[in-house]
Amino acid sequence: MSALVVAHNTYREAIRDRVLLGILVAGFAVLALTQILKPLALGEGLRLTVDLGLSTITFLGLMVVLLVGAGLVSKEIERRTIYNLLARPLPRAAYLAGKWAGLSAALWCVALALGTGLATLVALMGHAGYVGAIIEAVYLEGLELTVVTAIAVLFSSLSTPVLSALYTAGLFVGGQWCDDLRRLATHFPDAFGRVLTVTADVLPDLSLFNMRTLASNGTPTTLGHLLIASAYALLYCGCALALGAAALESRDFK
Amino acid sequence: MKLGTVQNSTAPAEFHPARGPRTGGADDRDEAAVRVEHLSKSYRSNWTLRVTRGLEDLNLEVRRGEVFGYLGPNGAGKTTTLKILTGLLKPTSGQAWLMGEPVHRVSSRRNLGFLPEQPYFYDYLNGLEYLEMVAKLSGLGGADAGRQARHWLGRVGLGARARLVLRKYSKGMLQRLGLAGALVHSPELLILDEPMSGLDPFGRHDVRDLILEQRERGVTVLFSSHILPDVETLCDRVAIVIGGRLERVGTVSELVSEQGGSVEIRCAGAVVIEVPAPWRQALRLNERPGETLFTLSDPRFLQPVLAWMVESRLAIHAVTPQRGALEQLFLATARSATASTAETTEPERRSA
Amino acid sequence: MSAPAVAAIRRRMSVAWLLALVLAIATATVAEYAARVLPRPAPFGELAYYPSGRYLRPATLGHAETAADLAWLRAVQYYGERRRTDNRFDQLEHVFDILTSLSPGFDGAYVFGAFALAQEGGRFPQAERLILSGLEHNPRSGELAFETGFLYYVRPGGRDLRRAAEYFELAARLPGSPPSATRFAAFCRQNAGSLEVAYELWSDVFKSTQNQYMREIAARQMQRIHTAIENHWPSSAIDRLATPQVRIRSAS
Repeated sequence: MSALVVAHNTYREAIRDRVLLGILVAGFAVLALTQILKPLALGEGLRLTVDLGLSTITFLGLMVVLLVGAGLVSKEIERRTIYNLLARPLPRAAYLAGKWAGLSAALWCVALALGTGLATLVALMGHAGYVGAIIEAVYLEGLELTVVTAIAVLFSSLSTPVLSALYTAGLFVGGQWCDDLRRLATHFPDAFGRVLTVTADVLPDLSLFNMRTLASNGTPTTLGHLLIASAYALLYCGCALALGAAALESRDFK
Repeated sequence: MKLGTVQNSTAPAEFHPARGPRTGGADDRDEAAVRVEHLSKSYRSNWTLRVTRGLEDLNLEVRRGEVFGYLGPNGAGKTTTLKILTGLLKPTSGQAWLMGEPVHRVSSRRNLGFLPEQPYFYDYLNGLEYLEMVAKLSGLGGADAGRQARHWLGRVGLGARARLVLRKYSKGMLQRLGLAGALVHSPELLILDEPMSGLDPFGRHDVRDLILEQRERGVTVLFSSHILPDVETLCDRVAIVIGGRLERVGTVSELVSEQGGSVEIRCAGAVVIEVPAPWRQALRLNERPGETLFTLSDPRFLQPVLAWMVESRLAIHAVTPQRGALEQLFLATARSATASTAETTEPERRSA
Repeated sequence: MSAPAVAAIRRRMSVAWLLALVLAIATATVAEYAARVLPRPAPFGELAYYPSGRYLRPATLGHAETAADLAWLRAVQYYGERRRTDNRFDQLEHVFDILTSLSPGFDGAYVFGAFALAQEGGRFPQAERLILSGLEHNPRSGELAFETGFLYYVRPGGRDLRRAAEYFELAARLPGSPPSATRFAAFCRQNAGSLEVAYELWSDVFKSTQNQYMREIAARQMQRIHTAIENHWPSSAIDRLATPQVRIRSAS
């Protein structure tokens, strides 16, 4: 219950922050740009629209996570606004969960808004058959952003906003290479291969949330993929938040 | 700006000290709103590994329903103590209870209202939104939280600006809002760190009234302050902490009577006289327009001094005993504590 | 505020605005001059320095399709620029290699790249390599199989009817191929080599492709064949026409 109060407040903060509005405007501007570039694409306009539209959602969402999420907890500690909350009967873990949930909700709103815009645009281009795949791709991108937000909140409980943003960005990049790491592990002897495999397990497997190639061709993914990705996202977020709660539990607010 | 009055708004529910379940602890402890036993706090630098002491073996008890003043110079450990009680800091050793509940439990803060020193708020919220949020965090339901938020916003004189965003609040307005936030859920215990900070004389007057009002309702108030006249006026008991150690605790009357009083002797006109050697330390002369003021710090010399004045044909107008002030006690205690600290080798002090 | 103070502030603001305007004009003038005088980097030049798409793919952080699309836009620009100037397409193979490595499912890139390399660049082996790699990555693409057959049919220097027939037949068995695939397979098996077959093939391309340059190539060929038939060209000339040449020099 108290986590929901914190979540609502965090959501309110994100919505009232002009960064989010700028992100939405930029996203719709990119969608408009795809229509301007369409004549240059020699018949590949649909592909260009879908690919650019989906990539925009991820990268703009990532920008919000790095600008807002990485400082979510550390800024509260720095500004001492956290005193007013933690001196109440609010468990620190609930506080952290609330911060994550609030920012994630704001990011889902962004993804939904831009995803709806993209699906509408593609339908207006006469390819309504692509809408299903686009919806699935946007859902997976929303999950991806939720996972990255949990990572940002974890680092935010441990470090300054700048370092948190760097670590989060680093894990985002690393998370795109999990498949490559696993493949690489098979080429090395046992011990080092094991190290690579464990690294791939620890990094967030963000390729699980990537169906952009399928969406580009209007091909939907399987229900199994969606369920596995959802379960993975939930588990990874839970793990990251638990670590963050452990870090925050031992922290003194001088 | 004056605080609002209670008459035309929904008053908070009446509070009685005995309300609420007893949650454990010895019988003695249940009588105390705040209990601290052998509380210590040290800080260790991550780089140099040097240990600095914030609090040392503090033992304290605040009884239910009393107003308790917590005094000390800057860096004495007042804020450290209050932060340990409110769960923001973890003690190095020792224990503390709020209303019988150990402070490490989240539930110990259920009936607590806390105002930190120089409170900070979310500047994108307005006053009403902020109070509703903290009311809900303190356990009030949606409608209740809204009602109480509106009531307390009016009570602290901010009702006309309910929708003003906090980034536009002045320092005094923020302090009032912080007080409202501490009171919105009708707590049984108030812990206030420098509640008069940033307020003009009107504001301070209103905060004093508010504290007295809470005492009437049976709320326990523990507050730290540098403004000693306020402490003298408001507090049932006072503790003085110096260098992380509790130096004195007692009622204001008990403490100031230890000091003894000085005597003020007023004489007409300008006086040119040499004070005899035995009384030179105790007797101070102060010339004022039309009169001369003698202050005798040691009342034991009163009779011989008066006799000498009469003999010297001084025109004595008035002889007035002065009650010992808290400020004098405070300064004397601080000096004595500092002197004894200087005699021993101790770890460096650090404040929260 | 007093009137002189207000006037002073207004004066300073006006000076600042004027200075900004003058500097903006000067900046724009210098930029235009620089654009005229200084050597410009060739469009697409940066792509030429990129490593293989296989190594570029990890750097796209999961957005290889988008990177491929952006590379496609640059490739089209490059092609258009070269068509207008010297008709040299030295970097084309490298770029389409990057493009298709980033997005192995990008059918349009294989087709356009192969035909541009073969018809415009005079590099049939590279064209063949490109479109066959496309089929390797997309073995169920009837469209790609058909285009491969067509590539062999219009091979500069001499049709490869056997291979053309193979791929037309493959296309006929796969989803997404044009309905004429079977017919063209049959024509090739019969070693028809007739102008009518060639005309039909080019007509099919003209109707089905959305690629503007491919339509131009098809239109040019159809016109030439039509002219040959109308004017009763000698059989040797017809044979040469039925066997597409290395380079198409003008849009006649």
